[in-house]
Amino acid sequence: MKALLTTIALATLASAAFAESATYSVDPTHTGVTFEAVHFGTSTLRGRFDKKEGSVEFDRAAKTGKVDITIDTTSIDTGVPALDKHLSSPDFFNAAQNPTAHFVGDKFVFKGDKVSEVVGTLTLMGKTQPVTLKASNFNCYNSPLFKREVCGGDFETTIQRSQWGMSYGVANGLPDNIRLLVQVEAVKQ
Amino acid sequence: MSPFPRCLARSGCAALAASAMALACGSAAAQPASYTLDPRHSFVYFEVLHFGTSTLRGRLGPTEGSVTIDREQRRGEIGVSLHTDSVSTSVPQLDEILRGPKGFNSDPSAVAWFISRDLQFKGDQLQGARGELSLRGTSTLLELTAVRFACRQDDERKREICGGDFVGELRRSDLGMTLALPFVADRVKVIVQVEAIRN
Repeated sequence: MKALLTTIALATLASAAFAESATYSVDPTHTGVTFEAVHFGTSTLRGRFDKKEGSVEFDRAAKTGKVDITIDTTSIDTGVPALDKHLSSPDFFNAAQNPTAHFVGDKFVFKGDKVSEVVGTLTLMGKTQPVTLKASNFNCYNSPLFKREVCGGDFETTIQRSQWGMSYGVANGLPDNIRLLVQVEAVKQ
Repeated sequence: MSPFPRCLARSGCAALAASAMALACGSAAAQPASYTLDPRHSFVYFEVLHFGTSTLRGRLGPTEGSVTIDREQRRGEIGVSLHTDSVSTSVPQLDEILRGPKGFNSDPSAVAWFISRDLQFKGDQLQGARGELSLRGTSTLLELTAVRFACRQDDERKREICGGDFVGELRRSDLGMTLALPFVADRVKVIVQVEAIRN
């Protein structure tokens, strides 16, 4: 037992001393993007994308990282099928022509040992624009389910959809500002 | 389940009866307006922290029901419900677990109710509502605070539409929902989107 503990302690020390970049695979059951748009100044319409995948490279010692997430825009889900259909149409996402949205974040800003910001680009409808996601939660834990380390958090940003050429209704009172809420958990590989 | 669950001791049955009478008396002088929820813009969302790390979100609804507001007298009444088997997180396996006995315990007829006759106003603006949330055959006090509230004239329907966003918090264990405690937090943020069309 003592030998085992010593081995674990040594291994922990060794990994701390030689910490290196680790690859994390996005857990799609705890990863998602929710968008919020205020509807005629009255109430907030929320939607999400049910299909997404991605990976995260993360080096806590070097304070670097890279996240790459692909969203299937055809999987849009607001709870109202007629609205999903309109949002998928050429008025908005034009999902048949542009079936994916792609976020690449290659600059991780740290506050202590926690990620506070991810700076990157969002490609939507064939256009790539800079986006900065701000963390409202960030944490790593040992998952009893995966028996591995899981890191993740909540991130958010507000974008102007017209920057990606999605301008339907902006002149008639539909909001240009869209709040994006991103939940991410990724399992160490 | 009865559409009008028993009064919570904390909300005060006497106070409810008094305000109901006041509503009846007041209706002659002022004009309370009644509205029916628009199912396209009336959903309930919940947020709960997973392993202290990231926020799990889900949706319930659409919500059905009616709201009566007397802006002049600054009072009103809310009676709304939704089917809990509508729970949707974008992960079908999780939805099944959430419908289970430690979650919403839903069958296709399982309904959650929110009843309030305790509406708060600032001027003629609705600020919040304090009422009783019932689900799984039990109930808890839920205080909803308006993040925004507005009314507009809808050109298409030629009707007034009022609505807003409301937030509240509850402890799910108070309602017997103990699934995955303590790995998934007990504290749940409740976010209500509602738009209602004047009758």
